[in-house]
Amino acid sequence: MSALAAVAYSPRRLRVAIVAADPAIAVRLAALALDAGHAVVDATEAADAILTDGCAEALPGAPIVGLGAAERDFAGLLPAGATPAQLDAALRAVAAGLGVRPLAILPEPRFAPLPEDGSPPPTSREVEVLTALADGLSNKAIARRLGISPHTVKFHLEQLFRKLGAGCRAEAVAKGLKRQIVEF
Amino acid sequence: MPEIIEDTLIRLSAALGERVVASRRLVAAIRCGGRPLRSGTLWRQDAVVASEQALPDVAEAEVILDGGQTFAARVAGRDRGTNIAVLRLDGGPQPAPHAAATGPEPGALVLAIGADPAGGVAVRLGAVHSVGPAWHSRAGGQIDRRITLDLRLEQAEEGGPVVDAAGGLVGISTLGPRRRVLVIPAATVERVLDPLLTNGRVARGWLGAAVQPVLVPDELRTEAGQPLGLMVIGLTRGGPAAQAGIMMGDILIGVDGAGLGSPSELAGMLGPESVGRQVQLRLIRGGAVQALAVTVGARPVR
Repeated sequence: MSALAAVAYSPRRLRVAIVAADPAIAVRLAALALDAGHAVVDATEAADAILTDGCAEALPGAPIVGLGAAERDFAGLLPAGATPAQLDAALRAVAAGLGVRPLAILPEPRFAPLPEDGSPPPTSREVEVLTALADGLSNKAIARRLGISPHTVKFHLEQLFRKLGAGCRAEAVAKGLKRQIVEF
Repeated sequence: MPEIIEDTLIRLSAALGERVVASRRLVAAIRCGGRPLRSGTLWRQDAVVASEQALPDVAEAEVILDGGQTFAARVAGRDRGTNIAVLRLDGGPQPAPHAAATGPEPGALVLAIGADPAGGVAVRLGAVHSVGPAWHSRAGGQIDRRITLDLRLEQAEEGGPVVDAAGGLVGISTLGPRRRVLVIPAATVERVLDPLLTNGRVARGWLGAAVQPVLVPDELRTEAGQPLGLMVIGLTRGGPAAQAGIMMGDILIGVDGAGLGSPSELAGMLGPESVGRQVQLRLIRGGAVQALAVTVGARPVR
């Protein structure tokens, strides 16, 4: 299995071109790309990805990662203080045709309605299931803890997901009862 | 291609362009130092309205209006409850009066216009996705209608005017949960504009209690007269609820003879007029229903 996986995918060093109007910034970006484990090339045509601070006017066609360029529409956007691991992940992602956005650039708006009047609060049994879920238990383990069948656990989970508007277990825990708490 | 279809499209496109030209005098670009540009709506000669959540925490800003005229502005007030911030302009042009929108109806076409960093306007065209009754935000504000739009909006465009096909001002745009686009209706802006310009804030009732909807225990449901209540799961020390003797675990079920089973019902009794008023709360404690008088306080700033 592991041998097969190694044949199917082995991470390679990318060729990264640097584009910045200020030479000092270009040097710093090049050092970051090297820290992230990639090779820096001069020709943008030969590059797998481009790293820029977003200040250059004209940008070539390879996928671009912008560092601290939140207002630009690049394939990859990273905050100015991104770690080498984040830069490595972003460069690989854009080279593979994916887009990258840090969660912090698109904050969830604060303006939100009160919990819907139509959604009934979780029952005490559902709260117990949610607590067990938060402890990281599997359906089987939840069933053992509460002394009910795994089938019943699944039923309670479905009700919980519906009430909380959650798509998965982690989301259900994250939303949990927090969503329902309102301060007056 | 049949000529008539081409004609209709060209005319529709031209009409939309005309609406934008007629409405762009309402669009204000707000510059707060070196921060990204924000949008606002020129509501009166000396007042620009913006989205509270989008406006950086600054005291002063620069407002650039249609044609590039720049004015110094002071942030006169902010209200998280309705998500409205007001900037008072130093000077300001005489805006032609804007027509109020009638409606809108679901499916109607609207334009959401914001400021563009390059100096022009950023325009979005979409349908009114849904229209609902008045609602309360989590921060306690009442919004006169629940209007959602079927379009996408950047944070920089939030706060600009939303106009209907007749050019009427529906309200200002804002982003809600999951970045869905909501309209803060013109009626809501009108309601909070003067308090914000005069006092810098909108007074709102406050109990100092965090509550959560719960099911009323079966054996008390008949006496409570309702299946749902609000359990107190947090109290601010020295707040109105704590001072009145409300305890953690109390389940609130009524106020002044009316039922209380949802957060919005509680929000509804804590409007600006409620500050200083004494109310009779009905609650479940220790398996029994009892009453308690509470004097509503004023919500602290932030």
